[in-house]
Amino acid sequence: MSEKNYLKRVFQAYYKEKREEIPIITKLEKREFGFIPWDKEIMNRHICFKFTEDLKQYLINESPKHVYSSGASYLQPDNLDMDKKGYQGCDLIIDIDVDHFYTPCKDVHDTWYCKECGKTGKGIVKKCTKCNSIKTKSLSWICEDCLKIAKNEVFKLINNFLVPDFGIKDKEIKIAFSGHRGYHLKIENKKIRTLLSEERREIADYLTGENISFEILGLRQDRSNILGLLKENIGWSQKIIKKIEEILTTYTNQEIELLLLRYGLNRNIVKSFINSKRDFQQIISNSKQNIWNLEGFGIKTWEKFLFGIVDDIGAEIDGPVTIDIHRLIRYPGSLHGKTGFKTQEINHDELDDFNPLNENNERLDPIVFKSKENIHKLQIIEHDVPETRIKGKKYGPYKKGDIIEVPHHIAVFLLCREVAKLS
Amino acid sequence: MSNIFDLVKRYPWLPSLKKYSYIDSKDDPYEYLLELFSKYPNGEIQERVFKFFRAAFENIEYLSGHKNDDLNIYLYLILRILLYILDNKPISNRIANLYSKITNNELLKEADATVYEICQDLNLKIKYYQPPINYGINISKDQKQILETNFRIHYADYLKLAANLRDEYRKLVNNALSEGYVFIQKRSLIRLIQEYVRRKFLNNEDDEGKSSNKFKKNLLKIQEFKEIYDNILSHWELKKEEFEYNFEISFKKGSNISKDFPPCIKDILLKAEEGQNLTHIERLFITFFLNALDYPEDEIINVFSTMPDFDKKKTEYQINFAKRKGYIPHSCATLKSLNLCMAVKYNDQICLEGYFSKKLDTKKTLAHPLFYIQLKQYRGSKKIKKLED
Repeated sequence: MSEKNYLKRVFQAYYKEKREEIPIITKLEKREFGFIPWDKEIMNRHICFKFTEDLKQYLINESPKHVYSSGASYLQPDNLDMDKKGYQGCDLIIDIDVDHFYTPCKDVHDTWYCKECGKTGKGIVKKCTKCNSIKTKSLSWICEDCLKIAKNEVFKLINNFLVPDFGIKDKEIKIAFSGHRGYHLKIENKKIRTLLSEERREIADYLTGENISFEILGLRQDRSNILGLLKENIGWSQKIIKKIEEILTTYTNQEIELLLLRYGLNRNIVKSFINSKRDFQQIISNSKQNIWNLEGFGIKTWEKFLFGIVDDIGAEIDGPVTIDIHRLIRYPGSLHGKTGFKTQEINHDELDDFNPLNENNERLDPIVFKSKENIHKLQIIEHDVPETRIKGKKYGPYKKGDIIEVPHHIAVFLLCREVAKLS
Repeated sequence: MSNIFDLVKRYPWLPSLKKYSYIDSKDDPYEYLLELFSKYPNGEIQERVFKFFRAAFENIEYLSGHKNDDLNIYLYLILRILLYILDNKPISNRIANLYSKITNNELLKEADATVYEICQDLNLKIKYYQPPINYGINISKDQKQILETNFRIHYADYLKLAANLRDEYRKLVNNALSEGYVFIQKRSLIRLIQEYVRRKFLNNEDDEGKSSNKFKKNLLKIQEFKEIYDNILSHWELKKEEFEYNFEISFKKGSNISKDFPPCIKDILLKAEEGQNLTHIERLFITFFLNALDYPEDEIINVFSTMPDFDKKKTEYQINFAKRKGYIPHSCATLKSLNLCMAVKYNDQICLEGYFSKKLDTKKTLAHPLFYIQLKQYRGSKKIKKLED
C-alpha cells in the first residue's frame, strides 16, 4: 500500500470515529469549501454543503489531505465564477505562521541540502554555502520553541492591538492552532464583514506597523533640533515610546547593544545611545519637550532606530491572508495533511497553557493518533531528518536509509512530512 | 439640534430624504418630473440645473447663490436622474466632484452638533464629545498645542470612506485609534462625508449598468427635461473640444508603448479617461512615470485635461517642476503601501508572479513599475526575433 493510501485510510478512520465531534462553523451553507486530495496537489474548490451532515459524510468518503473553508459567505458558494458567487461579506482572517518570520530555533532544526554538490547544513540558506548553487532543498521543522513564539504573537495581536485599539471583543475572536506551524484568528463581527480588501490592507498595516510615517507621527528636523514622538499621542506614537521606555529600563547595556546592532545601527551610534541612555529616558518621559538631540543621530538614524522598534512591536502576521476576502482557511477540527495533527480551536483563556506538541487536556490535544502499542516500521527517505519532540519524547534525528520503529502518531507525522516510507 | 427636515433640504443626499416622500422608488419618474416642472413653470429648475452643469464643465468649485430651499432637493434628484440617462463617466465625475465640494463648504459652516446629526443619519458609528476630548499633544517651536476633538469614528466606517483617498496622513497606522474608534478632527470628518456624497453620485452607474433606452426616451418626451438634456450635451460637446480631449498615450520615440504599461499606470489612466478626480498621490505618480519615459509635456497635460479641476497653466508648471527636479516614480513597495498596486485587480502575471532571471536561475519579483515596461519590451523583442528567425 502506498503511503498516501495508508494516510487516507488513517484520516478516514478518524473522521468516521469523530463524526459527531467535527465542529460546525457559522454560516456553513454559505461558505465555499476547498479540498486537496491525496493523489494530486490541486485544490478542488467551489464546493458547498447545505447541511452539516453532508460535510461530515464528504470528509468520511473522501478523507482529503487538506480541508479548507472560506472566510467569506456567498449566496452561491459553489458558483465557479467568483463574480457570480454573490459575495456577502468576509470575516477578518489573521494568519500567524512561523514560516513567515525568523525564529532562532530554525537554526537548530531546519535543514537543507544542495542538489548540485550534496552539501548539507542547518538553518535557512538562499544558496549552497559550498558551491553557491541555488538548487537547494530545505526542510523546515517544528518544535515547542517556535510554536511558543507563534503563540506569543497571538497574545501580542490580541492584547496589544485587537482588543485595546480595535475594540474587538474576546467572544468575537476565534483562535485555532493550524495543525502545523502556527495559528489562525477569525474575527466574526458584523461591521468588519463589510470591509473590502483595500480597507483590510489598512488593518494589516496597523497590526504590523507597515507603512508607518514617522514624519506624520512627529519626527522632524526643526532648525538644529530633531523633534521626536510623544507618549501622550494615542496610537503608534504611544506604543513606540512605551517600547523604548521598556528597553531603557529593563535591558542591560549589552542587550541594548545587540538590539541596536540588529536594527542596523553602527557601533559608534550604538555607543552614543548607551552613553545618553539616562538623558534620553528623561526626554521621552517628559511631555513638555520632544527634542531628540543625541550625538550621531540624524533623522535617518532615528528612522532606522524607530523602524527597528516598530518591527519589534508589530505582530508577525501573513498580510496577504488578511487582505484577501476570497481566501480559504483550514477548517477547524480537520486534519492537516502535512502533520496528521488536528486544526484545534482554543479559547483565549486556554491559550496560555496550550502546548500543541505536548497538550495534557485531551479535548484540546491536536495529536489525535496517539497509541503506545501500535508501532510502525518506517524507512527514512530524506537526507537529514531533524529531531522531533512530541509528547515529551524525543525521536530522531534520522539519516537517509535508517529503519526505525515508532509509535503511530510519530509514524503518521513522518509519513505526512514525506520524510519516511512504510517499511 | 437641527430639524431633520431642514437638514434634508440642505443635504438632500441624506438617507432621511426618504421620510419626506419627495420621491418614492415606486414613483414613475416620468409622472414625477412632469408634476415637478408644472409646479415650477417659470424655468427655475432648468436654470438651476444648467447652472450646475455649466459650473462643473468650467471647473468652478463653488456655486454662487447656492440656496438650501425645497428646490435644492429636486435639484439633487434631477441631477441624479440626468447622470443616469447621460451615462457619461467624465460628466458624472465632474458633477460628483462639484456637488461634493459644495457640500464640504456647506458642512464646514455647520455646528459640531449638526455634523454629528448628519453622521447619525448616514448611519456612521460616531462618538460625539462635548466638551472635546484630548488625544495627544503637538509641540512645535516651543509651543505646546493640545490635540483635541469632538469626534471619534468607528474604524470600519473610517476605512470605508478614507481608504480610497490614499493620503499618507489618512492611513490608519498614522492615526489615533483606541477602543475601535479613530479620533478625528471635524474638518477631516467632513472630508469623509464629502467622499460619501461623491460616491453617491457615482453609484448611479452601478444600479443597472447602462441606462435603459426606453426609460430615457420616455423622460425625453417631457419638453422641459429634454431642453436641459440637450443643453448639457451641446455644452459638453463644446467643452470636450476645448480641452482637446485626447487620451492616446502613444509617444515613445515613435512607437506606442502604452500596451506595455503596468496595471498601476493603466488603472490611473483609465480613471483619468473617465474624468475621475485623481488623488494627489496618483497625480504625482503618473507625472513622474511619464516624465521618466520622456513623454512630451503636451501628452502628459492631456492626461490631466479630463480632471474636474484641470488648469492647463498649473499642470504645465507642475509637470516641468517635477521634470527639473528629476523626481522618479514610486517603487512597487511604495505603491503597495499606498494601495496603488493593481496587480491583483488586473490579475497581472508579471506583477504577481515575477519573472525568471536567467542570470540568477531564480524567480524574481518586480520592484519598480518602470522595469515592467523594460521587461515587456524585452519579451516583445524576443518574440519578434523568434518570428524573424
